[in-house]
Amino acid sequence: MAEEESQFEEFEQIDFLRDRHVRFFQRTLQVLPERYASLETTRLTIIFFALSGLDVLDALDVIDRNTMIEWIYSLQVLPTEDQSNLSRCGFRGSSHIGIPYSTKGPGVLHPYDSGHVAMTYTGLCSLLILGDDLSRVNKHACLAGLRALQLEDGSFYAVPEGSENDIRFIYCAASICYMLDDWSGMDIQKAIEYIRGSLSYDNGFGQGAGRESHGGWTYCAIASLCLMGRLEEALSRRELDRIRRWCIMRQQSGFHGRPNKPVDTCYSFWVGATLELLDVFQYTNFDRNRSFILSTQDRLVGGFAKWPDSHPDPLHAYLGLCGLSLIGEPNLRKVHPALNITQRAFQHLQQLQQTWRDSTGSCSRQH
Amino acid sequence: MSGVEETSNEPLQVKEDQEFDVEAEDHLGDDYVVDPTRYMFYRDRKEWADLEAVPQDDGPNPVVKIAYSEKFSDVYDYFRALLKNDEKSERAFALTADAIDLNAANYTVWHYRRVLLQGLSKDLREEMRYITAIIEEQPKNYQVWHHRRMVVEWLNDPSEELEFIADILSQDAKNYHAWQHRQWVIQEYKLWDDELEFVENLLEEDVRNNSAWNQRHFVISHTTGFSDAAIMEREIQYCLNQIKKAPHNESAWNYLKGMLQDRGMSSQPGLLERVLELKETHCSPYLLAFLFDCYEDALENSVQKENAEEDEWKETLKKALEICELLAQEKDTIRKEY
Repeated sequence: MAEEESQFEEFEQIDFLRDRHVRFFQRTLQVLPERYASLETTRLTIIFFALSGLDVLDALDVIDRNTMIEWIYSLQVLPTEDQSNLSRCGFRGSSHIGIPYSTKGPGVLHPYDSGHVAMTYTGLCSLLILGDDLSRVNKHACLAGLRALQLEDGSFYAVPEGSENDIRFIYCAASICYMLDDWSGMDIQKAIEYIRGSLSYDNGFGQGAGRESHGGWTYCAIASLCLMGRLEEALSRRELDRIRRWCIMRQQSGFHGRPNKPVDTCYSFWVGATLELLDVFQYTNFDRNRSFILSTQDRLVGGFAKWPDSHPDPLHAYLGLCGLSLIGEPNLRKVHPALNITQRAFQHLQQLQQTWRDSTGSCSRQH
Repeated sequence: MSGVEETSNEPLQVKEDQEFDVEAEDHLGDDYVVDPTRYMFYRDRKEWADLEAVPQDDGPNPVVKIAYSEKFSDVYDYFRALLKNDEKSERAFALTADAIDLNAANYTVWHYRRVLLQGLSKDLREEMRYITAIIEEQPKNYQVWHHRRMVVEWLNDPSEELEFIADILSQDAKNYHAWQHRQWVIQEYKLWDDELEFVENLLEEDVRNNSAWNQRHFVISHTTGFSDAAIMEREIQYCLNQIKKAPHNESAWNYLKGMLQDRGMSSQPGLLERVLELKETHCSPYLLAFLFDCYEDALENSVQKENAEEDEWKETLKKALEICELLAQEKDTIRKEY
C-alpha cells in the first residue's frame, strides 16, 4: 500500500500542468499588483516571457494578437521630424516616461526618451512571435540607436544616457542585428574581443574580464558568437571543449549558475541551451533535470519558481518551460537555443528575411 | 495598497513634508497649515501647483499593467512632469528620492537624479551616505551600484569602498554586483595591497565561496602573476590544503586546473603524485576529472613530442579510461553520458 501511495505521489510531482501555465501567462499579460513596481521599466521583457511562454505551450490563441502588436509598437522610440534623436532610437520598456500613446511617427522630442537595448531585443522577438512582419519597425533608426551604445572595449550600454556595460547587452545587440539581418548595428570584432576577454580561468564566462564565471553570462557569450556565426573563429577547439566541461559540470540535479551555488530553474535553460549550442546537451541527465524543474512548478497558480516551494515569476516560468522543451517534453514547441524564441517564430523570421532579400534594392523604411 | 506599506512610509514622508513646509512658510506665510500626521499627495501641495501632472499613457489596451496605488501614481505623475520640462530644482531633487523609494529599479529616475546632482552642485558626500543606505536595503539592484560608481568617480575617492563592499559581502558573500564593484574599485584605484588577505579571510569562513576563489585569481594575475615558480608552488600548496579540508569543492579544483591548463597539466613536477595520494582519502569527481585532464595532457604531449615509449602511452590511456569508468559508474553518475 505504501509503495502504491508513494508512486502516486511521484506521479503527481512529475505531472506537467499545462493549463495552469497558460493561465499564469494570461494573468501576467493582464494586471500585476503594485509589488511588481520594480518591473515597470522592463515590462516589455515581461510581455516577451509571457508571449514566448504561450508560444512554447502552443497557446497563443488565448490572446488578442492585434492589440498586443499595437501596444508594442507604441513603445518604439521613433526619429523626430529632424532626426536629431536617431542615436536614441529603439524600443522603450514601458510608458513610464510619459510619452502620449502613439503607434505612428514621427517621434516626439523629449529630453529623456530613449530606447533600451534589452527592450529593443524583446520587442522585436515579441513582434515576431505575434506574427508581425516588422514593417513598422524603423530598422535604420534601431541600428543607429544600437551603434550609439557600443563602447570602445566592445561591450554595450543599455541606454544612451549611460548605464552599466557588459556581456548581457552584447547578446541583446547581436540578437537585434541577427533579427534585422543587418550587422551594421555593431562592431563584431570588438564584441568578440570583449567576449574572449570575459573567459575565466575556470572556462566559464563572466560578465566582463576578471569576473566570476556564471551560467547566464556564458549563455550570452556563446549565443552571441553563434548568432554572429563566429563561434569557431573566436574560440579554439580546446577552448570549446573546456567550456563544454564547465557547462556540463553545472548540473547537480537541475542546473546552477556558478560552482557551489544552489540549483535554479532558469539555468536549465541558460546552461542547457549553451550545451545545446555546443552540441553536447544530449550528454546531460534529462531525468534529473526534469525532476528538478517540475519540483519548482507551482501547482496552484502555475508558472515555475527558481527553487521548490518558492513564488513563481514570469522569467522562471518561461525559462522553466524552455528547459523542459530542450529535453523534449511532449507537447512543448522546440526553442531556438541562440535566439530564445520558438522554432516556429524563428521560421517566420527566416521567411521574413527572405522577402527582405528578395525585394529589389534595400529600403530603409522611414515613418 | 496595503496598510503596512502606508505606515512604514509615512514617517519619512511627514518629515519631508515638514521640511518643505518650513520653506513654504517662508514664502507663503502663516495661512499655510499642514496636518503633520497626514501624507499629502503632490497634487495637493501648493508649491507644486504650477506643474501639470503627466499620467502614464498605455493606450486603449494596456499589457502587463501594474496596478499602482494613488500615492505611487501621484509621485510618478509629477516625476514625469519634471522630466518633460527638464526642470532642475531642489524640489525635483527631493522628488527623485520619493520616486526611488517607490521603485529603485527605475533607471530614468537615477539618471535624472545624477543630472540634478551635477546641475545643482549637490553635496556628493551626502549622496554617498544616501546610496550606501539604499544599497544596504537593495543590494541586488543594478541601478544602485551603477549610481554609486558614478558618485565615487565624481568624488575620485574610493576610500570608503572596500569597507562598504566588505559589509555587503558579510550579508551575502556571493553578491555578484558587490564583487563586480569591488573589482572595479581595486583596478581603477590600484588598491591591490590588502586584497589577498581579504580573500583568504573569506575562504577561511567558507572555502567553497567560488566568488572568493575568483577574486584570488583576479588579484594574483594582476599583481605577481602566476609565472613565478614560487608563486605557483605557493598557490598549488594552498589549493591542496583547502582540498584536504573540504575535498568536495569544485572551486578549489577549478582554480588548480585554471592555473595549470595552459602551462601543461603535467608541467608541475610531483603534482600528479600528490593528487594520486589524495585520491585514496579525499576523492571527489573533481579530483578524478583533474587526473583525467593530466593524463589527457600527457597523451597529447607525447603524441606531439613523439619521445614517449608506446607502453607508457598505452598505460596512460588505460588509466584515463579507468577514470572515466569510475566517474560514470560510481563517482559522478549524473554525467555518465558525457
